[in-house]
Amino acid sequence: MDFTLSPEQLLIKDSVARFAAGDHAGTEKWPQFAELGWLAIGAPDELGGFGGPIETLLLMEQFGRGLVRSPYVAQVVLAGQILRAAERTELLERLVEGTERFAVAYEEPQARYDPAAVKTTAVREGEAFVLTGTKVRVLDASTANTLIVSARTGDEISLFAIPANAPNITREPYASEDGYDVANLRLDGVRVDAAQLIGPLGDGLALLDRALDHATAALCAEGLGLMSLMLEATVEYTKQRQQFGVPIGSFQALQHRMAEMFIEVELARSVAYMAAMTLDEKADDPVARRRGVSAAKVQMAKSGRFVGQNAIQLHGGIGMSEEYKVGHYFKRMTMVERLLGDGQYHVARYIASRGAAVTAAPDRDPVGASGSRAS
Amino acid sequence: MDLAFSPEDRAFRDEVRDFIATHLPADIRRKIQAGDHLVKDDYARWQRILFERGWVASGWPKELGGTGWGPIQRHIFYEEIAYGWAPRLLPFGLHMVAPVIIEFGNDAQRARYLPKIASGEEFWCQGYSEPGAGSDLASLSTRAERQGDTYLINGTKTWITAAQWADWIFVLARTDPNAKKQEGISFILVDMKTPGVTVRPIETIDGGKEINEVHLENVVVPVANLVGKENEGWTCAKFLLEHERTGTAGIAGCRQQLETLHELIAHESIDDPRLDERIAQVEIELEALAFTELRTLAAESAGKRPGPESSILKIKGTEIQQALSELALDALGPYAESHLAPKYFNYRKTSIYAGSNEIQKNIIAKRILKL
Repeated sequence: MDFTLSPEQLLIKDSVARFAAGDHAGTEKWPQFAELGWLAIGAPDELGGFGGPIETLLLMEQFGRGLVRSPYVAQVVLAGQILRAAERTELLERLVEGTERFAVAYEEPQARYDPAAVKTTAVREGEAFVLTGTKVRVLDASTANTLIVSARTGDEISLFAIPANAPNITREPYASEDGYDVANLRLDGVRVDAAQLIGPLGDGLALLDRALDHATAALCAEGLGLMSLMLEATVEYTKQRQQFGVPIGSFQALQHRMAEMFIEVELARSVAYMAAMTLDEKADDPVARRRGVSAAKVQMAKSGRFVGQNAIQLHGGIGMSEEYKVGHYFKRMTMVERLLGDGQYHVARYIASRGAAVTAAPDRDPVGASGSRAS
Repeated sequence: MDLAFSPEDRAFRDEVRDFIATHLPADIRRKIQAGDHLVKDDYARWQRILFERGWVASGWPKELGGTGWGPIQRHIFYEEIAYGWAPRLLPFGLHMVAPVIIEFGNDAQRARYLPKIASGEEFWCQGYSEPGAGSDLASLSTRAERQGDTYLINGTKTWITAAQWADWIFVLARTDPNAKKQEGISFILVDMKTPGVTVRPIETIDGGKEINEVHLENVVVPVANLVGKENEGWTCAKFLLEHERTGTAGIAGCRQQLETLHELIAHESIDDPRLDERIAQVEIELEALAFTELRTLAAESAGKRPGPESSILKIKGTEIQQALSELALDALGPYAESHLAPKYFNYRKTSIYAGSNEIQKNIIAKRILKL
């Protein structure tokens, strides 16, 4: 058992931290990301790829700390993991180079996060498919050249890669509360050929489910970064801010609250690593993977809400101010809490995957040990 | 970064598991599974069995009879104790006074006390808290007056687990009444058979009689029973408290509690999604804490001393233990008055003992957040 980072991992962490601490607002940094190799994390060796979930964690934690607004999770982790598992090397290569960008359109108005709740249909017409339906909350769709869309092919779900400017697609972009690029999508008889199928016909849900776990773990890492910075900012502020002639951080009511925030950050750190390691070490065990990642997201949502709300509270009025940074971290945290499934959704998913694990031998493995022991 | 246990650690786990399965007396296992109170002989028998296997003195140096385990092996051993429904080893001798004697005592004291602590021949209890000194331990008022080669001890110690079984008590007493609070205290070993020592049981809200008040009235103790230097007992006290906090998360025990809870729900055919969700929430927090403990252990293995981070384990571990006892109560609904209510009542103690959870938050605020 060893939690120390390798020299290569430390290097990634430091270079991302430097970027995140600098001026990264507004301008599009994608070519820089490609140059630094960040788009190649989790890609296969032959594409110059390296690392995996732990490296993604290191990057996303620093993005969180620096409040870096980036389509990384949606366009690199989520889309990249789909393309990798579907062995679409030619598309993945363009993703890694930064020459093509992918958004994943899987959620529908009635779905409440569930990737299986798909009404969009792909009807076969000879060698082609015709897609009709509505997708919502497509993350980072505006900057994508290609949309990966889930659609029902009979009883099963399949994925299709569609040029974003294909006829009969309407994108309705909007900005989410934290300023992220989101879009709703209408497909009115979009014609694709069989070569645009991503993965085998009917394998869409398994591909999505796995890639969503990777993306969720990445969000947990971002959440960790957001929370740790909010805690530090709060502790710092309460040491400076004077009331009644003393720093307010000397009051026990506030000290205990910050101690509780500290505990939540440490639990969040644990589950962020737990999720990454589950993806690493339980790659062939979808039940353990789902359980580990959903557990992480539940804890992250709970801890993140506590730390975020109390960061605002302990800052007092200044915490409410649009000019001050903590409010922006809080808003992003609130989005991260919900993206790709909120606590409610993931607790249900955790319970469902726990039931499936009852027959698994209790190996007392550190990852997900209590789940596998439950009956 | 590698989370897996090494092959040696896995083999060690199997060895411990097999040993417990084959050597734990069946009557003791049944009592623990049923949640019954153990008697002294149960603890003594089990300690003797482990002692003969060389598995009691974890954390002691090897030359003094220690097991030679690293933090990970120690962790594995205590997990298997819980998973195997075996009694815990009472910590007052093995993990409280022994480390103090090893660190601060002299050779004569090590030779006199350690072997009998290891074998379980002598049981110990902890004379720290007083009616007027709980969280503010340094305000204790028990006096030890030096009279030639003896101390004359007067005072009352309270909340003492297992005092009714103990052969010895280690006492914090004031040897310099004029010194500043922490500075006039000494760490003294007292034979429970000494005239003037009386034990009065305190019945707890769960009906238990495991804790006691110990009165010390004109108790005469040889100066040779002083551990460390006179008036420097606070150093021993702090050292001991840090030892006490590690391992208080009780994660393996919580996993057992969870399993029992799931069995109960299956047995009673309770079908309540709200309950399932509450249990899942606690279970997830337990996983998060278990992982936190592994991070602490890995740091310890790499040579880092257990620090104030152990307060996280104490606070969250006891909160989870309490939450699980509460869930068991709620799961049984109208039938919960049976044996589950006493357990729920009993578990309220966990957030009070070993430094209340509020004191732990003070420690985090001061020593980690530097507030």
